[in-house]
Amino acid sequence: MDSLIPFTTSGSLVDCVDRKMLVVLRDGRKLFGVLRSYDQFANLVLEDTVERIYHQDVFAEQWVGLFLIRGENVVLLGEVDLDGEDEVPLRQVEWDLLLPYHKRDTDVKKRREELKAQVLHEQKGFSKEGGEGDGY
Amino acid sequence: MLPLSLLNAAQNKPMLVELKNGETFNGHLVNCDNFMNITLREVYQTNPDGDRFWKLKECYIRGSTIKYLRIPDSLLDSVKDEQTRAREAGRSARGSHVSGAGNRGRGGPAHRARGGQTRGGPTRGRGRGRGA
Repeated sequence: MDSLIPFTTSGSLVDCVDRKMLVVLRDGRKLFGVLRSYDQFANLVLEDTVERIYHQDVFAEQWVGLFLIRGENVVLLGEVDLDGEDEVPLRQVEWDLLLPYHKRDTDVKKRREELKAQVLHEQKGFSKEGGEGDGY
Repeated sequence: MLPLSLLNAAQNKPMLVELKNGETFNGHLVNCDNFMNITLREVYQTNPDGDRFWKLKECYIRGSTIKYLRIPDSLLDSVKDEQTRAREAGRSARGSHVSGAGNRGRGGPAHRARGGQTRGGPTRGRGRGRGA
């Protein structure tokens, strides 16, 4: 039966509707929510969405509700294994507590990527990053 | 309910729009189109760092610059209800004069379908003839 569905956005996502999904955006944000709808551009409607941030082996969640995500910004969409979800060896902490750590992590990563791109460009003859600067 | 239909149904509702560059716009949706271009009214704009604010009476946002929109949680339910009501209304309207319209409706397409087949026959015949 699977082979009857062509490999299109619509064909691939039809099984994901009404499931809890992880969406990673180009800016690195990770959103968990129930996929309610999508279209041929992979524009997504996520219900009961929470945003998660991580730092080492801790994470924090923030409720963000109903989301309409423009497809271009989606990096990946993955189904959450509801059985395995509770066995993840991570500790949850308060959002406000973790946010400064997460900010520092992203800043450090951004600086390192900029430095790497600069070295590759100046010493190894690589081309420069495209306009958006997020590696995608 | 496609994402863009949901956006259409969100007219006059408050929403938060984040652009790809991180700027956010808080306001009420005035209008939108199928490119996701939108106009908002009574807008609070914030810069990507979230430390500077602007108040705008009305603004237009090109769809291609949008990262995501946050819409009220209640919207999905109200849209679902509305769809159900519309379906119910449609069903009862069709059900009220089913016999006459139904017979005419079934008659029409059948005639056209038969006509199409007879026209199709000779065409295919000529095609095979040229090939051989």
